[in-house]
Amino acid sequence: MALALDIQGLYKMYKGGWSPALDGMDISVRENQLLGLLGPNGAGKSTTINILCGLVMPDKGTAKIFGKDCVADTVTVRSVIGVVPQQIALFGQLTAWENFRYFGRLYGLSNTQISERAGNLLKRLGLDTHADKRVGRYSGGMKRRANIIASLLHHPQMLILDEPTAGVDVQSRAMILDFLKEYNAQGKTIVYTSHLMEEAEQICDEVVIIDEGKFITKGAPKELIDNTPGCNRLEDVFLHYTGHSVRD
Amino acid sequence: MRKVIATIIKEWILLRRDVAGFMLLFLMPAILIVVMALIQDAPFKDYQNLRFDLLLADNDHGRLAAEITRGLKQSDNFQVIDSVNNRPLSDSALKQLLQQGNYRVGIVIPAGATAEMVNTANTVANQIAEKIGVGKLPAREARSNKYVRIYFDPVSRPTFRMSVNFALDKLITASCSNVLIDRMSKLSGDTASAPPTEDFRKMFSGIGIREEALNDKTKDTAHINSVQHNVPAWAIFGMFFIVIPLAGNMIRERDERSALRVQLIPNANSSVALGKIFFYTLVCMVQFALMLCIGLWLLPVFGLPALYLGLHPFALLPIVLCIGLSATSYGFFIGTLFKTATQAMPFGAISVVILSALGGIWIPTDIMPAAMQKLAMASPLYWGLDAVNDIILRDNKLSGSFLALSVLLVFSILLWLVSLRINKARTHSVQ
Repeated sequence: MALALDIQGLYKMYKGGWSPALDGMDISVRENQLLGLLGPNGAGKSTTINILCGLVMPDKGTAKIFGKDCVADTVTVRSVIGVVPQQIALFGQLTAWENFRYFGRLYGLSNTQISERAGNLLKRLGLDTHADKRVGRYSGGMKRRANIIASLLHHPQMLILDEPTAGVDVQSRAMILDFLKEYNAQGKTIVYTSHLMEEAEQICDEVVIIDEGKFITKGAPKELIDNTPGCNRLEDVFLHYTGHSVRD
Repeated sequence: MRKVIATIIKEWILLRRDVAGFMLLFLMPAILIVVMALIQDAPFKDYQNLRFDLLLADNDHGRLAAEITRGLKQSDNFQVIDSVNNRPLSDSALKQLLQQGNYRVGIVIPAGATAEMVNTANTVANQIAEKIGVGKLPAREARSNKYVRIYFDPVSRPTFRMSVNFALDKLITASCSNVLIDRMSKLSGDTASAPPTEDFRKMFSGIGIREEALNDKTKDTAHINSVQHNVPAWAIFGMFFIVIPLAGNMIRERDERSALRVQLIPNANSSVALGKIFFYTLVCMVQFALMLCIGLWLLPVFGLPALYLGLHPFALLPIVLCIGLSATSYGFFIGTLFKTATQAMPFGAISVVILSALGGIWIPTDIMPAAMQKLAMASPLYWGLDAVNDIILRDNKLSGSFLALSVLLVFSILLWLVSLRINKARTHSVQ
């Protein structure tokens, strides 16, 4: 199967940084895969995502999405990816509908397309009855779900999520995870980061563990658990490779 | 274009829901204009247009005192007060009243002032008579100078002192001339043909002064007055206060990460920036139009003159557009430069106040010291006000404001470029 994401030798040193944020990172993701990008704080997850989105320029190496270079062809790359940032990237003073209408128009969608797509997603993620409320008044879980909808309006081929379930209630988390599996089943590629190993174990086809800007290991969660001595859970595998020292 | 329109609609919804921002943009300048126009109405008026109480102590009781008193009473500027509690004012009472701050000016006509004036007139008449070989009038050789003394409330401003001095000097000169003509008539023995002293000034009507408008099409010289200064000045000030909602909006969007989402949408950045600039410039223009309406229709209700828009009022449109663009670009710059609202808001507000003070919003630049007048040119508000004044005071066409408009456009473009540079240098993150 063709590669959806191909990262090779990615190196990034921030100005004034003590050590490289990425130090020769290599990751590849096949089309239609649901990949968990796992790593402790400062491992390089966010820098990797920022490079994929064209927000940060790498010092060395290449990153390609569906064969398009993330640095040289940012516009094309951005049109095929949907990014769900860790924070709620919506206008709090606007209602969910107003937000989706605005972002949809920025994506060049027609009013009919926006209504149809946003309507379906609102219904699927349980927000249809709250669509006319201001996002600022939403609960944490509702905001997270609305945040995902806004990233899917243009039907991206690849969805990149940065801790999409951080700080949400159990019901919202279950709904989000179910939805991601469903979206993946429609043939879309998903790359998502999380600190919740149990969650990654539950939904990911494969996980990549990175630390200190480097690729550590990759595999299906069960395969990694089985192949790592003394590990019964993905969290054990994670700690096995990244150690027990606290990262700040 | 759809993206620009979508941004305009979004900004409109956001502004409509930001009650405080809305009030700041429309209510604040409206209140400022009304209050400042009312407060500055008197200081802006020429002293010739105001009426003051004037204390008069007459120790002369002669012709000079009578003519000065009559002249002052005939003037529209002075309400002569020569007695208090039915008792004529003495020198000391006059000084005491001024010292108390109840009155602004007092005049003391010394005893014997008329006698001295007549003696001087006789002396001058005799000198002329001697040269033409006619009779002689009685005149003392020894002359004693008599001064009509003026006392001012110490807080009176120099321009006011000058005006009163000038008015009084005119009255004394007229009186002296009248007496001299009387004396000359007496010398010639032609009492019948002596000109009536009241009409003396009319004799010189051929050498008068008449102020006329620079532009033939206007009947009036559109004098700078409180309304003509304050309405455009505070309207421009209000336009520059767009910095607060605009910079606040940009910082909030960065904080709540909606700006990041916009950045992740292909080719949306420039359309969104354009939409924002377009929307806020439009708000500035609406704001200015509303302020003009206040000058045209509301201020006259308070007894102030209506705003005069000049011979080419539509020339204001491109001028206001340029001012709006420079105000918006300044807001854009502040919103880009500062990372938090806590930094941006005070800086934005204070810098606008400073730029407005420099630019002649508070007081016209022509009464500033020379160095400050040069410094004023660093303020975009100066150029904005200058361009508006070109239209509404000088009755000029748009071509007269070319320099001011160019400066405003260059200012806007420079700030956009700097903002773009800062934005590019800033690290963005999805985190």
